[in-house]
Amino acid sequence: MNFLDLIWLIPLFPAAGFVINGLFGKKMSKTAVGVIACGMVLVSFIFSAGAVWQLLQLDGAHRSHTVTLYEWINAGPAHTSEGPLARFQVDWGFLLDPLSSIMILVVTGIGFLIHIYSTGYMHDEDGFYRFFAYLNLFMFSMLTLVLGNNYLMMFVGWEGVGLCSYLLIGYYFHKRSAGDAAKKAFIVNRVGDWGFSIGIMMIFATFGTLRFTEVGEKVREGVMSGAFHAGDTLFVAIALALFVGAAGKSAQIPLYVWLPDAMEGPTPVSALIHAATMVTAGVYMVARSNFIYQMAPQAMTVVAVIGAVTAFFAASIGLVQNDIKRVLAYSTVSQLGYMFLALGVGAFAAGIFHLMTHAFFKALLFLGSGSVIHAMHHEQDMRKMGALKDKIPWTFRTMFVGTLAIAGTPGLAGFFSKDEILWKAFSSKQGHVLLWLIGAAVAGMTAFYMFRLLFMTFYGESRVDHHTEHHIHESPNSMVVPLIILAIGAIVSGYVGFPTWLGGTNAFEKFLDPVFEPLPIPRGPEAEYSNLVEAGMAAVSVAVALIGFGLAYSKYCKRSWEEQREVRQYGPLYRLFLNKYYIDELYDALFVNRAKGGGVALWKFDGKVVDGAVNGSAWTTVESALGSGWWDRWIVDGIVKFIGGFIKTMSWPLRLIQTGYVQNYALVMILGLLVFIGYVLWGTP
Amino acid sequence: MPPFLQMQDIGAIVPELELVVFGMFLLIFDLLIPNKRTLGLIALVGIGASGAFLFRVRGLDVSAYGGTLALDPFAIFFKLIFLVAAALSIAISLKYLDIERENHGEYYALILFATMGMMFMAGAVDLVTLYIGLETMAISTYILVGFLRSNQRSNEASMKYFLLGAFSSGILLYGMSLLYGLSGSTRFVDIAEALSRRPITDPISLMAMITLAAGMFFKIAAVPFHQWTPDAYEGAPTSITAFMSVAVKAASFAMMVRIFMVAIYPLRPQWVPIMAAVSVMTMTVGNIAAITQSNVKRLLAYSSISHAGYVLIGLIAGNETGLTAIPLYLFIYTFTNLGVWAVIVALRRKDVIGEHIDDMAGLFFRHPAGAVLMLIFLLSLAGIPPTAGFIGKYYLFAAAIETGHNVLAVIAVLNAAISIYFYFRIVVSMFMREATEKTGLTYAPGLTMTLAIATVFTLLIGIYPDPFIAMARHAVVLGF
Amino acid sequence: MDYFRQHILTIVAFWPLAGMIVLLLFNKENKNLIRWWSNFVMIAGFVISLPLWFWFDRDSSDQMQFVQNIQWIQTIGANYHVGIDGISLLLVLLTTLLGPLAVLSSWDAIQDRLKEYYVFMLMLQAGMLGVFISLDFFLFYVFWEVMLVPMYFLIGVWGGPRKLYAAIKFFLYTLFGSVLLLLGILALYFTYPGIAAQHPEIASQFGTGATFDILAFHAMAPFLPFNLQYWIFLAFFIGFAIKVPMFPFHTWLPDAHVEAPTAGSVILAAVLLKMGTYGFLRFSLPILPNGTKYFVPLMITLSIIAIVYGALVAMMQPDMKKLVAYSSVSHMGFVTLGMFALNPNGVNGSIIQQINHGISTGALFLIVGIIYERRHTREIAQLGGISNVMPMYAIVFLIMTMSSIGLPLLNGFIGEFTIVMGALQENLWWAVAAGAGIVLGAAYMLWLYQRTMLGRIENPANEKLLDMNMRELATLVPLIIVAFWIGLYPAPFFHVLDKPVNKIVAKVRPDYFQGAPRLNAEVISARERR
Repeated sequence: MNFLDLIWLIPLFPAAGFVINGLFGKKMSKTAVGVIACGMVLVSFIFSAGAVWQLLQLDGAHRSHTVTLYEWINAGPAHTSEGPLARFQVDWGFLLDPLSSIMILVVTGIGFLIHIYSTGYMHDEDGFYRFFAYLNLFMFSMLTLVLGNNYLMMFVGWEGVGLCSYLLIGYYFHKRSAGDAAKKAFIVNRVGDWGFSIGIMMIFATFGTLRFTEVGEKVREGVMSGAFHAGDTLFVAIALALFVGAAGKSAQIPLYVWLPDAMEGPTPVSALIHAATMVTAGVYMVARSNFIYQMAPQAMTVVAVIGAVTAFFAASIGLVQNDIKRVLAYSTVSQLGYMFLALGVGAFAAGIFHLMTHAFFKALLFLGSGSVIHAMHHEQDMRKMGALKDKIPWTFRTMFVGTLAIAGTPGLAGFFSKDEILWKAFSSKQGHVLLWLIGAAVAGMTAFYMFRLLFMTFYGESRVDHHTEHHIHESPNSMVVPLIILAIGAIVSGYVGFPTWLGGTNAFEKFLDPVFEPLPIPRGPEAEYSNLVEAGMAAVSVAVALIGFGLAYSKYCKRSWEEQREVRQYGPLYRLFLNKYYIDELYDALFVNRAKGGGVALWKFDGKVVDGAVNGSAWTTVESALGSGWWDRWIVDGIVKFIGGFIKTMSWPLRLIQTGYVQNYALVMILGLLVFIGYVLWGTP
Repeated sequence: MPPFLQMQDIGAIVPELELVVFGMFLLIFDLLIPNKRTLGLIALVGIGASGAFLFRVRGLDVSAYGGTLALDPFAIFFKLIFLVAAALSIAISLKYLDIERENHGEYYALILFATMGMMFMAGAVDLVTLYIGLETMAISTYILVGFLRSNQRSNEASMKYFLLGAFSSGILLYGMSLLYGLSGSTRFVDIAEALSRRPITDPISLMAMITLAAGMFFKIAAVPFHQWTPDAYEGAPTSITAFMSVAVKAASFAMMVRIFMVAIYPLRPQWVPIMAAVSVMTMTVGNIAAITQSNVKRLLAYSSISHAGYVLIGLIAGNETGLTAIPLYLFIYTFTNLGVWAVIVALRRKDVIGEHIDDMAGLFFRHPAGAVLMLIFLLSLAGIPPTAGFIGKYYLFAAAIETGHNVLAVIAVLNAAISIYFYFRIVVSMFMREATEKTGLTYAPGLTMTLAIATVFTLLIGIYPDPFIAMARHAVVLGF
Repeated sequence: MDYFRQHILTIVAFWPLAGMIVLLLFNKENKNLIRWWSNFVMIAGFVISLPLWFWFDRDSSDQMQFVQNIQWIQTIGANYHVGIDGISLLLVLLTTLLGPLAVLSSWDAIQDRLKEYYVFMLMLQAGMLGVFISLDFFLFYVFWEVMLVPMYFLIGVWGGPRKLYAAIKFFLYTLFGSVLLLLGILALYFTYPGIAAQHPEIASQFGTGATFDILAFHAMAPFLPFNLQYWIFLAFFIGFAIKVPMFPFHTWLPDAHVEAPTAGSVILAAVLLKMGTYGFLRFSLPILPNGTKYFVPLMITLSIIAIVYGALVAMMQPDMKKLVAYSSVSHMGFVTLGMFALNPNGVNGSIIQQINHGISTGALFLIVGIIYERRHTREIAQLGGISNVMPMYAIVFLIMTMSSIGLPLLNGFIGEFTIVMGALQENLWWAVAAGAGIVLGAAYMLWLYQRTMLGRIENPANEKLLDMNMRELATLVPLIIVAFWIGLYPAPFFHVLDKPVNKIVAKVRPDYFQGAPRLNAEVISARERR
């Protein structure tokens, strides 16, 4: 069975699940709904695995397979900036290459686990079928996003996942906060999509095609023929436009604000969409467009800097949050910052590598927190937890692994990917020691807030109120098993990219090479570093992480809850962090209220001025009619009355018809006549 | 100098003669026959006879009485209009006069005489003939306007109309005498010939032109000579108002075309701007004044003023399209307007005057057919396709554009749009207000017939205007 | 059958009229008979219009097909000349599709003066179809004005509290536009003979006499002096811009929409507005190329203003229907933007977007109508949490919201993206500005959805609402299907449009297909031609 030609089915299975559950789920039993939803994802996981396996059989250069279903859009010819006519023609086509194969494995694999987990987590929710329908719809969109062979297909998935995140964040739609968060997420993403779509259009207007492979080829040829040069404004513009989209989807400054609020959604959603898959779409997109970014070093710098700053910024907020899920949310933002840092310094493979490992341990952490919340009866405030490690042992163990992984403990997944990034941030051409410093600092902060979370939740004395106290219980297997599998992943998944300086062959990077093949742009010689330097760097970052751990331990674990109070009243900086730098308030003041105010103003304007002009003209017409009547009644009649009275006395015969009008009409006639005479005799030349 | 009187001269005026004869008979029969409706029917027969002869001489193009009277397609077409107008007016009068208790034989006779006068106006190519025709028409209508002798308004209207009419005739006569003085002839062709020999800015000829123009503007109720119209129309018996608004107007336009396009054609450059100004004023004032009227008769009076303004465009354009537009428009206007008046007459009942716009309230519920017909006529007046009115307006606007009077055209179309507003005030009260009273309409065979004919032609001309346009064109191409 | 095929357009256009005449004979008390009959007529009308889609010859989609040309008013050279190309094909089908749905939606909504209501609906349908099939300018104008009257009555009799004001405003405003349009037509009419006299190739095809034949006007376009084009374009512009409506001629729209009965709004939004854009496409662009190019900056500015302005005003409307009304101002802004980008993508997109707007906005008005029938209010503040009691309704509403904010896989996206693509090819900033509209679009629609559908039910009046019944669902399902069809597989539509659009573009920018200069350059040269 040739899976390569069936990749177009991979998104369709979940789509089918969506249709079935959406239409008939209401009448079906929860088991049936769960089976269909999970089954569909499992099938597409199998198909993905099969396809990837068959892809691996091909030799390195030809590891790329395209399947075109049908012609989707064909909106006539258009001029490219180069002049020749191209057709705006887009196929419904799929592309499987190393990059997308990694993505589909991550998406379907982790997606499947999270589906399983959800059957347990959501079991008591009403609208069970609705949840799984949305979840399957999300799988469909996400797979379309990563499998599409052109930018427009990617955009389809891009918007689709946006919609699903809207639906799933707003899953508890009767909660006002949920509705707000959902709306916020969608609209902020729309701002990003605005940039993304402009970028797509510019790509078409430049190259006359939207297929990744063809655009890449054209860029390459352009460079060869000397038509394009690194740093052309065109490329910088396109790259930045695309990055706006990426920043929206992957919650980077300044568009990150929606992600923390997105935690209003059910926890599996946070794990799947807002940690493992959707939020990494931006990273995938930038990596996919590497040929554009390579041509735009300035844009690369922007990406790197924004990535680094976001990583730091989000981590700093994460330091002080008390809502367990919000800590993880900011952690996610910060980790995504890492990935963009990697992309920005040209280490696309490293970025994707971290994307993958992060998918494992962040999903694990979220699901773990979900398991905690589940046990705590939907209590998310860590100040009301503590000492849970014996009550829910498996949750604790797995989360412990996850924490170690994300904190960069040597030997676990996070360590390899993160160090790869830090090293590249330092060593690569676009890198800079400052970037490395920030990265290292963030490593420390990460260790701090993660262990803080761990300690506040599982260690110390219990602060759980009493009637929940009794009900605390380990979650069902449907939830624990996925945790364990993910934990294993969080440990081993790093070894696919076992770094060279430890004597490994960075297989992962090799695998991706054909996608990220550098363009023949003139570069200076790469600086050579010995493995020792790299090892030293690694050691430093581990040390920093240890410091973070130490701080967390001393502040949150060693001391009793009472003693910790002074930590929690830490003064202005603390409050600044706690209130997320007041960014939301700022945006409200700057944009939201502006827009609303503008709307009201324009509405008034519309009624008063624009419509006023219309009605005004009508009014004038009517008034002038009345006016003429008034003129008749008063002025003319006035004269008439006078003449009338005059004549009354003078002439009796006319008394019969003493209305007066006649004379005045005659008068007017005479006047008119005189005017005409005056005109023809003296008026005309 | 042709011999004084010849047989074909008599032949040329047979239609008129028939009307006179029937008129005379009516006066006599009035003493013998108690049932006045019969008289009306006799009058109709007379008109029929006259029409029949008119049909026989169709396509003729001769001049009689030593070139003072023409029997050309132009005259014939207009005579047709007059006869139609007269016939329909009589048809709607039959019942109406009973209601007003003013049914007398002379009424019909007078209509016939007036019509006869009009026919002479249409055929006249000589000042004297023209004037005789004009006065015959005018005097008869003076009397008709005041026919409701028990009614104050009617008398008053009649008196005004008479005084101002006389006044305007005076002005007109003054102009004619000037022309005679200039040319030493009363025939249009000679006058034109004489004028063309004088400089175009010659004050005397201009004086003559202006006075003539003023006189005629009065007859067609053009601003600023329009003020008699609302009063006269309001006061006159509704049937006569109908008759005046179509026939008298048509006759005046016939006369106007002949004089301006023949007699004082050499002065065209001089009179075009004036006429343009008058046309603009007329349609604008007419429309704007109509907006606030709440008495339907007054409202329609103003509307008919504005329509005169439109028709003037035809003369201003002065080319084939324009001249075709005039008879065509008047022909269409005859049917449409008579239709409207017929409905208003139908509204006249013992208790209600049926003139106020509120008397129309909910007409649709009391009498759907009547309301729908009224709607059709109003749409036609406003010039909305597929009614005849649109064809007429189209032709006028086309003429304006064709001859490059773009500004005039714009003003005209905007006016046409405005007119919708007050026409639809009637529609609103008919269709969207609750019925104030449940009594139906008074219908008489004559009335029904009129409505039927009017509707048929309003729609027919709107949907398939070809033959009528052809007729109108035929009427003017030869003459001018 | 063959006869049917040759006269299909006439039959399609006059079928509703025939149905209306039969309807006149019915007793107005027999309400159900009237309802069933009118629905039958409309649906049958749709069915008999379907062959157009199948018989239409795609390979010559830029040629007029199913043509009938009969002498009508010989004396002025007006003919009964009908025919459709790819563009009018789509609009005709849109009309025949929306008509039945609108009529079906009024089954319960209209209770008094039933007979007249359906009479006017059928009359309106015939008028609109006539507009889209006319190939003779005189005929076109007749249809164009004919449908004013029934629309006036639909608003004025069955409308809301301020119906009289809204109705006469609609009538007068549109009439002002169309009378100026008439003058423009006349100007062309009188120019033709002169040009035909000089250019035998035209004369040989269309004769030397004055004519209203639109194809003849297309043929003489290249020879029209610029000054004439300038003025005629202005006349046409006012006529069509009021109909579209373009900013700042849009103020009749909210009033008309809010006061009109549901079906009226549906027809108004879905079809009537398209007549304006269709006018631009069929007349302004191909007949007045230089005039068009000269006015491009103005057109684009107005379009972009409309897009952003409409969206912002829509955002703050307290009345659902008014919100949708303003949203159509914004959407029509997209249509005109794409059209006046004057390149194939833009124009293609603008036509697709016309269809989309008909589908989505029509559906949204139906949706508003459904809630209005239950609650007798459209105040957003009065609603909220409706999805708790009307789940099916909530889903349909959501789909249409997404379609209206241009979500991929739904129709709106195809149109908007293609339009903006076209705009970007001429000027990056047009695209950026239009993009703002897309963002705002999402904002106001989602906000509307949240305030009406999501959250808990605060207002007790909303607790006992019944979900949509079969009939109401039946009015919406076809629209949903089409929405997905255009979203998933728009190729057939583009295929039909491709050639005619290229033809138009080639008329406006003759050198476009030979590596043309950017539009801006041409605008300048048009200025110089002045």
